Amino acid sequence: MSKPDPNAKSRLISQTELDSWLDGLASKQTLIAPRDVSGVVLYRPVAGSGEILAGVPRPVMSVKELFFPPTERLLRIQKTRTGINVKETLPEDQTIIFGVRPCDARGVRLLDALFLDTAPADPYYARRRANTTLIGLACRELGPTCFCTSVGGAPDDPTGMDMLVYPAGSGFLAEAISEKGHALLADTGWPETVIGGAAPDSTDHFPVPEKGRWLGHFNDDYWMKMSERCLSCRACAYVCPTCRCFSVRDEMLGPGEFERIRCWDSCAGENYRRVAGGHRPRAEKGERLRNRFYCKFLYFPGQIGRSDASACTGCGRCIEVCPVGVDITEVLQDLERLA
Amino acid sequence: MNTNPMLPYPGKLVEVRDLAAEIKLLRVELAEPGAETFKGWQPGQFAFVSAYGLGEAPFGIANMSQDGSLLDFAVARLGSVTTGLHELGEGDTVGVRGPLGNCFPMDKFKGKNLVVLGGGIGGAPLRPVIQTVLSQRLEFGSLTILWAARNQSLLVFTDEYDQWRAAPDTRLHLTIDQADPKWDHNVGLITDLLKKVNPSPKNAITVTCGPPIMIYYVTRMLAEMGFTPEDNYVTLEARMHCGLGKCGRCNLGDKLVCVDGPVFNMLEVGNMMETYL
Repeated sequence: MSKPDPNAKSRLISQTELDSWLDGLASKQTLIAPRDVSGVVLYRPVAGSGEILAGVPRPVMSVKELFFPPTERLLRIQKTRTGINVKETLPEDQTIIFGVRPCDARGVRLLDALFLDTAPADPYYARRRANTTLIGLACRELGPTCFCTSVGGAPDDPTGMDMLVYPAGSGFLAEAISEKGHALLADTGWPETVIGGAAPDSTDHFPVPEKGRWLGHFNDDYWMKMSERCLSCRACAYVCPTCRCFSVRDEMLGPGEFERIRCWDSCAGENYRRVAGGHRPRAEKGERLRNRFYCKFLYFPGQIGRSDASACTGCGRCIEVCPVGVDITEVLQDLERLA
Repeated sequence: MNTNPMLPYPGKLVEVRDLAAEIKLLRVELAEPGAETFKGWQPGQFAFVSAYGLGEAPFGIANMSQDGSLLDFAVARLGSVTTGLHELGEGDTVGVRGPLGNCFPMDKFKGKNLVVLGGGIGGAPLRPVIQTVLSQRLEFGSLTILWAARNQSLLVFTDEYDQWRAAPDTRLHLTIDQADPKWDHNVGLITDLLKKVNPSPKNAITVTCGPPIMIYYVTRMLAEMGFTPEDNYVTLEARMHCGLGKCGRCNLGDKLVCVDGPVFNMLEVGNMMETYL
């Protein structure tokens, strides 16, 4: 587990100081934080610290939706008598996100690897990413479905953050991680300290199967049995910090006015692979759900050139959201046990 | 060149003709900077063509042209985008994104005997291979083309068969699935024709494209005939929405058809072909 460097200069602050700082940020630009939206916790713009949920719970949706929205306009298309006019529509908003969990920030780094570092870069994602500052909050404890420590993460992992805030006693320790974070923290005037943050030590991890086990059990009956209860509802992909499949289509806005949009999609969905003409590979649920797990642990890491990594951040959201109890931690442990 | 890879280049339809039943050949002329971007594209590569307002879909580029400014696409009317493309006429505007994907290693094919197997509209991305061989005929060994369709009305590039047959050391074998009184070539599946033609695997390369079921059985049969996995090439089709390795839709195991393909040999994807069906 990565503990903050004991010699790093972090800043010790009280809840009141943190709140008034966040209020200051919100007055200058869009501040996004975990907020109650009709009874659901989501990362949403807040007017000030008063709207941020007490204890800053982990939102139902990952922070992915702020960089890679569920539906996003790519192009604006106008058809006139004289021709067709096509314009790209790149996002402009500058935002600060507070309360980002380490698992979510790791998810952002994995999406970065695909959308930014693997050519060609995606200009929509790139713009949002460049315009956003991530202020993380280390977790006080692992939640009931959390397993970040089993997939290489930690409750105080600073990976992908610009700044990380650690709970410390009744207050917090704030530490700058990136250049953006250093600039932000330098402006606060908070006193420096060398005390490290205290995050929970978790010994509760299980081994993730090696590549060879995945390759060796691709054709196992296990996948068909395991997925029998799957509803193909795709909720697991939508809440996942790293599921990134999308579809692209044109929509009519009015006479001669159209937009090209992209929407989240998932390999668990029934028609995901259907092609015009009707051919439908991966027609079986088992083939589709198997693909999702193989993508997390083999395919996606390979596509970003990081075969050693896992594209699962251990946030546990898919376990919470699944209506029929498909549990990725069970799958990993089952695979380890298969003959 | 567009810095946004999702932004198409404008193209003008300069020729629209019927290629087969419900299949049209669209010839698109690109203006700058699209033409410059497409300069030097290679056989096997593909592009997304937009019917603006309806969407875009990927198509293998179906012709060789001197400078890349003229691109042929064979479009079967199957879904909303292809129906939209069918409704366009000469002079209309489309969008083109590309060139995308890898290509056939034509240099590696030089000096080899080539067996080209095309099924239906799957023949379209193979036409640039045939055209390349014919235009540099002495660089390659024999050329054997096995060309198939469900019925006679679905055979593509029929007006070019005489030219193919007339080329030195080149043979064309045709087959259709259903018997027809006006048909004096083979009747049966392409695997049936392949058995009859029985090409030698010696110093030979095969290139196959067609419906998934055809690719699956043809590549298996070629393996049984002694063609090695690394000489057994295919170009694959999968549902894809970006062509850039991002949208994730077109994976075949750990490969993405859009960026790792669409051209593969059986060494690369042979063990995943069951999941292609």
